[in-house]
Amino acid sequence: MAKVDIKIWVNGEEFGLAVEPHETLLDVLRNRLFLTGTKKGCGKGECGACTVNIDGKSILSCLTLAVKADGKEILTIEGLQNGNNLHPLQEAFIEQGAIQCGFCTPGMIMAAKAILNHHLNPSEAVVRTGLSGNLCRCTGYESIVRAILKANKLRGVD
Amino acid sequence: MDGFFRPNRYYRPKNIREATQLLSTFGERARIIAGGTDLLVEEPSEIDSIIDLENLNLSFIRKNKEGIDIGATTTINLIDSSPVFSMSPYHVLKEAAQEMATPAIRNMGTIGGNICNASPAADLSVALMVLDTNLKISGFNGTRILPIGDFFKDVNKTSLIDDELLVALHIPLYSGSDVASFLKLKHHQTSIDIAIVNVAVRLSFSEKICEEARIALGAVAKTPIHIKKAETILGGMEINAALIENAAYLAAQESSPIDDVRASASYRKKMVAVLVKRALENCMKGRDEWLKST
Repeated sequence: MAKVDIKIWVNGEEFGLAVEPHETLLDVLRNRLFLTGTKKGCGKGECGACTVNIDGKSILSCLTLAVKADGKEILTIEGLQNGNNLHPLQEAFIEQGAIQCGFCTPGMIMAAKAILNHHLNPSEAVVRTGLSGNLCRCTGYESIVRAILKANKLRGVD
Repeated sequence: MDGFFRPNRYYRPKNIREATQLLSTFGERARIIAGGTDLLVEEPSEIDSIIDLENLNLSFIRKNKEGIDIGATTTINLIDSSPVFSMSPYHVLKEAAQEMATPAIRNMGTIGGNICNASPAADLSVALMVLDTNLKISGFNGTRILPIGDFFKDVNKTSLIDDELLVALHIPLYSGSDVASFLKLKHHQTSIDIAIVNVAVRLSFSEKICEEARIALGAVAKTPIHIKKAETILGGMEINAALIENAAYLAAQESSPIDDVRASASYRKKMVAVLVKRALENCMKGRDEWLKST
């Protein structure tokens, strides 16, 4: 199998890697870079647990070949925190109790990050539509939506 | 991925010539990747090479005096957010884009991929069919233009031959008085749900007369289909409620759905009539609003 050299920026850090053509970005993040915050749920693009941001947009890392991430800037849940300060989304999720088992949380927060990237003051409808690809099997949606709306208020210039 | 999807080689050609050359060399052992949202779900085991269209500069939406050109790797979210598709009747494509999948998948999936995967239920396909879209297909030996209605051959089968790839789509110019509507029936469980039935309709008018009607249905045959009988009875007529009922009835007659996990064939047929009727009524509403505004 012919490995492919790629260069990616993950949470601001540059990585040069030789990946196999079938390797997904999700597997590279988890198994090579040990960034296990991003979760593998269904592996088929149905649950949203593997959501990360590429160039500020939400994408599914389970359906993204690592070779296709070459040259891109990737933000995962591990990159949200600024030094010792949690991101407003993380603060708001804790404050609103928007976490139950926690498995969907990294994907939820990264989908939320993309919503806040693209909307200055998102309405509840915009938040719900933006989360429509992320499943929470504990069904804690109400508090998650509340947390994102709260984070929008908490954030200064992002 | 733990399946047997183990392509050995990955190529990122720099131009269309290089891409078609690769396709002609590897034939059926190669697969094109754009967004990857279908390929990585399917995980075809027989694939030896992946050809990535990323560097071909095929992500564009251009409006000019002949119509709209869309690059094959334009993502579904770019179509949704483009002002070009806010106008009638082109908004039918935006309506279809908004009904598709989830925000993250729409950031990845492309218009060309949605068509070339040739799902009988593809949302963009029916919208593109009623807009009489032409496809620009490039092969190693040249380029051809094909009406989208002739593109689909069977479930997941298109008329592309081994060394060909879809490069761009061309939607002809319409007047602001042309109206269109897209409707999708799905289980409202998750937003990734595939259509039980989807319908797109376009009506073009000259004064009070409907000069041309287009009705396309998805998920009720092996490919997305035009409902020619219904289109014919509407063309050249002044549209009224009885004619709409008749067209909806003919559409249901002409559809040939199957029973599957999403719905039964008989339910689908009934829903075809309901959706065609509603889509035609939406068009007439749009037409009335346009008349009032001029």
